[in-house]
Amino acid sequence: MKNKRSIIKGTLPAEQRVVLKRAGIIDPDSIEEYIVHDGYFALGKVLTEMKPDKVISILKESNLRGRGGAGFPTGTKWGFVAGTKADKKYVICNADESEPGTYKDRLILEGDPHSIIEAMVIAGYAVGADEGYIYVRGEYKLVQTRLLNAIKQAKEMGFLGENIFNSGYKFDLHIHAGAGAYICGEETALIESIEGKRGEPRPRPPYPTTNGLWDKPTLVNNVETLANVAPIIRNGAEWFKSFGTPSSAGTKVYNIMGNVNSTGSIEVPMGITLRDVISIYAKGLKDGAVLKLAQTGGSSGSIIPADLQDVPMDYDSFTNAGVSMGSGALLICSEKTCVVDLAKVLLNFFRFESCGKCNPCRIGNQRAYQILLRISEGLGSMKDLDDLQDISKWLYEMSNCGLGQTAGSPLKDILKHFRAEVEAHIVKKECPAEVCSMSGISPTSN
Amino acid sequence: MTTKTKKDQGFIDIANKAVDMYHSKKEDLIPILMQVNQEIGFVPKEAMEQISLRIHVPQSQLYSVATFYHMLFTKQTGRHVIKFCESAPCHVVGGREVLDALKNKLELEPGETSSDGKWTLTTTSCLGVCGVGPVIMVDEDIYGNITPNQIPDILAKYE
Amino acid sequence: MVKITIDGKTTEVERGTTILNAARDLGIEIPTLCDHPELTPYGGCRMCLVEVEGIKTLQPSCTLPAGNDMVIHTDTQKVHNARKFILSMIFSERNHFCPSCQVTAGDCDLQNAAYDESMTHWPIMPNWQPYPVDASHPFIILEHNRCILCRQCVRACGELVGNFTLAFEERGADSNLIADLGLPLGESSCISCGTCLQVCPTGTLIDRWSAFQGKETELDKTKTICLGCSIGCGIDVLTRDNRLVRIEGDWDAEINGGVICEVGRFLPMVEERERLLTPMIRANGKLKAATWDNAISAAAEKITASKGNISGVASTRLSMEALNEFKAICDAYDTKSIATTEEFSAVSAVFDLAKSSGKAFESKIDEIKNADCYLMIGEDTTKDHQVISFFAKRQIPAGSKLIQISESPSGLDNFAVESLIIENNSQSAFIDAINNLITNKSGDTEKIAKTFKLNLSSLNNIVEVLSSAKIVAVIFGSRTNYDNAAAVLGSIISLNNQINGKLITTKGNINSVGASAIGINGAINIDDSELIILALGDEELSQNFSKKFEKSPFSIIFSSYISPLTANADIVFPVKNWLEQGGHFINLDGHIFEAKAALEAPEEVISCEESLSKLANVLKVKKQRSWKELVKETPAPVTIS
Repeated sequence: MKNKRSIIKGTLPAEQRVVLKRAGIIDPDSIEEYIVHDGYFALGKVLTEMKPDKVISILKESNLRGRGGAGFPTGTKWGFVAGTKADKKYVICNADESEPGTYKDRLILEGDPHSIIEAMVIAGYAVGADEGYIYVRGEYKLVQTRLLNAIKQAKEMGFLGENIFNSGYKFDLHIHAGAGAYICGEETALIESIEGKRGEPRPRPPYPTTNGLWDKPTLVNNVETLANVAPIIRNGAEWFKSFGTPSSAGTKVYNIMGNVNSTGSIEVPMGITLRDVISIYAKGLKDGAVLKLAQTGGSSGSIIPADLQDVPMDYDSFTNAGVSMGSGALLICSEKTCVVDLAKVLLNFFRFESCGKCNPCRIGNQRAYQILLRISEGLGSMKDLDDLQDISKWLYEMSNCGLGQTAGSPLKDILKHFRAEVEAHIVKKECPAEVCSMSGISPTSN
Repeated sequence: MTTKTKKDQGFIDIANKAVDMYHSKKEDLIPILMQVNQEIGFVPKEAMEQISLRIHVPQSQLYSVATFYHMLFTKQTGRHVIKFCESAPCHVVGGREVLDALKNKLELEPGETSSDGKWTLTTTSCLGVCGVGPVIMVDEDIYGNITPNQIPDILAKYE
Repeated sequence: MVKITIDGKTTEVERGTTILNAARDLGIEIPTLCDHPELTPYGGCRMCLVEVEGIKTLQPSCTLPAGNDMVIHTDTQKVHNARKFILSMIFSERNHFCPSCQVTAGDCDLQNAAYDESMTHWPIMPNWQPYPVDASHPFIILEHNRCILCRQCVRACGELVGNFTLAFEERGADSNLIADLGLPLGESSCISCGTCLQVCPTGTLIDRWSAFQGKETELDKTKTICLGCSIGCGIDVLTRDNRLVRIEGDWDAEINGGVICEVGRFLPMVEERERLLTPMIRANGKLKAATWDNAISAAAEKITASKGNISGVASTRLSMEALNEFKAICDAYDTKSIATTEEFSAVSAVFDLAKSSGKAFESKIDEIKNADCYLMIGEDTTKDHQVISFFAKRQIPAGSKLIQISESPSGLDNFAVESLIIENNSQSAFIDAINNLITNKSGDTEKIAKTFKLNLSSLNNIVEVLSSAKIVAVIFGSRTNYDNAAAVLGSIISLNNQINGKLITTKGNINSVGASAIGINGAINIDDSELIILALGDEELSQNFSKKFEKSPFSIIFSSYISPLTANADIVFPVKNWLEQGGHFINLDGHIFEAKAALEAPEEVISCEESLSKLANVLKVKKQRSWKELVKETPAPVTIS
């Protein structure tokens, strides 16, 4: 899909800072600096000039899509919650960010905590909620500290609590810290965790938009998604659509890592290609190595071979190419990476993080990991490939939640694009990348 | 009925303090457990019994929650807990060599505590600092861009 | 209503019905491993996944509500392949080696599901960390290696019984069943109700006696009533070759809905007493075997000779039919007293109150199943009438509050919001005080707290809870002595009226109500009698109670088991035990049940009813009025029907 607006032939796309505009520029512990940099202006505009459904229609018009990985249209989700009649509703910011390779939310929260507070009050007003939670992963201690401080300041200045901007609207905000579980990034597992229970995802339907926290309608949004709300309100939906692509408006924060010269984060309009990211921002692969594959969207994302590096990175282009963009993590790998070894590490992650509720995920990930372990020791058989294919297929088809459904993606992609390399481990008992131990000794771990 | 030792009573006091901090609300079970874990280094049985009593959550459910979340320990750890990130972004930039160096230096496998009670070595999932992998965390300190030969100096910082 | 089509068949169901239940309505069985009709759906095993037109991936029928115009396919190749995958995963996870398992060949849901999918072997080799077998519990064996992690036991322990002993530790492939803080089952808070055994689909949770005793599909099953206490839970008695194999709760029984307690499930399995197998007459200081005819004649002779100087004592475990025969004999021979074997159960006080009030004042069990407050006075329902405590405890997660008032600590103390120790004889005054506080909305709470040695906050809390609850279940019972049972009951009834509560007194044994309803509930008084007729049945009397009979000059005992009592008796008749006899019983809330015999008695042993009838015939006792008529005429605290 041609991106008419931001990529002009011959010109390189520059960074466009929207969500990370203030991060690194202002003192995150200073609400005054936040205000000086357009802070709480959007909230004031919303509470004094707009009705809730006007806010939602702006969001819908802007084409903002969820930045946590699923890409669900944000305005539509807000509309679902707003449209559900209830005596109590909640807004939750999903700051659990545990997807490997993803730390964009941490940058936003550490650098610009008030931007999320402001967005949540706007969201609460739009959907009819008067209480919100920011669920921060347990490991992000600095984020928790900065947010608590920011909330205290916001309360003191009247941006939280009773009668904000004299509008009669009230909103209370709490921080809830996680305790080390990737699965709590799944919205229903997150809600279970806030309720003091194991993070086991609930059956859906019903969705959180109608039955969420304490069974009340609940809006759950990712940090980066929320960080776009105030800018959109201030500058308008058209402004937001003026960068990105028709299917994916706005910017995206990408976290670049792997066998590259320069790791770090960038915020660019949607639609940039992997090639451009590597050449412009990552400054090429280390030691002049050649791109072998990239994993987009974290460990549950797609593994894309080098020949897909010119596909614009937006939701629809990627979906059409059969891959997913996900959270914006970009793990770039050279030929030094062995796909069997990589798959083994990925499956180890899923079996460690699986909540254990449903059979395909709990057992499927364990079996797949063990098979890859054996293959990496030179003990694989061709039946193993069939088993891996089956497991990946049924993980997608039958799992209770997104963790299980996407755990099979790396397997599927590797078997699709790098089958020969995997077979070499089995048939020739060789690891072409010279990474796997191939010891011939049966692994004792299970 | 077993007599409570002074240590047990200390655990119970810490549990009570944590429960009071969250106003005995049973939905705040996880923050309560994290508070106890923070103070003691793990959540002892005596603390769990007390929390169960105070906030009216059955012991089995409390234990179920405490063992589900991996930042909570239900067994005594070493004085210092090392968390090595074994997720893909850290792995592809040389993570395995760092883990081998750690295992060799400490003579521990992941999950084990040294016999002198100083170190517990664990592996963990992504810590969210992937731009500077490989990453290890010792207690609350995060170290990035680790190479194997940095390990001895890092470990030497801790008593 | 929504319209749904499954495998070509269309039906209308209520909005919110799951596809699984809609399919059941249509007679279509979708296989499940983690679902149970009595438990909330879990959605974990993924066996029930079906194809839904318009939705890309397979959907769980146990949790997905039927949507209007949904078209569903449960029998396609894709669905079958999906089930095979789940099964192959489960078989690879732990030790599912069928040939050595006690529930193989018909009793295992996992194995049956695999056969239904025509599986013949494990597609993926098992590879698992062995767990130790937990055999610490006196009745239950927990074989972790057969577990399929369906969590039915966890849900049953919480939702049906409210005990929450069981849960799962860790996560992912390390998930495992645990009790309390990771204790062996035998050291845990397990109350041995055995509900987990009933729901476990595999051979993970089994009881010690019935393992390897026969496939359930080959056992005989008798639906009857547990006679363990006055509740009368519906049970299934499984037998084989006239031997008791296992007792289970009857899921279809209205009173208990499938749950039973250890008294009903396990105590009959550990019956160690020896049976009486033949009538006996004492001659020359020794009991000697005799024929029924001789023994009956001897008894009749003695009874005729002792007319007017006889005491009759009947067990309240006997059926209405037996009790009626017994009463007829006693009435015909002017017994000085006719009493039951119950100590302290206060049932006579309850019936006295009914007589004076003229109408029934107790509620039915169904009315207390959804109370938001349970006021338990007197007995520890975690020891006696345990199923009542299940009904109360399982409501706690929904916000119900329990208040316990008794003279010693009880098993409900950990569950109750307020647990008070007040002596039996002070309880009447305390309940009056509470009643006043609620009625007048004020009072000298400090003085009351001081008088009864309570925290002021506890007192205030109790008043607050009782005043604001919508449905209060008031449960009173006793197995310890109340000098003033009538007074306590009066206070309780008064409070119950004030708060519009649902009162149930637990009474005592299965037929306490029945016995009282035909006039057998006087206080036991056997001291000056020449002859004691004791219709004991299969009851086991306490040592204290047995002592009362030590000095009796002559006793005629109808009993199932040998005991010191029978050893000292003069004429002994062997009678059937509860599993061998039928008969009618009236439970604590007035239901008339008919029990069915599940076993055949040994050759010379007949039912207590029959043996009393034989005796009545020889004594030429006039035909008694039917017990049904007598019952209708007796004022009772419960409506009997």
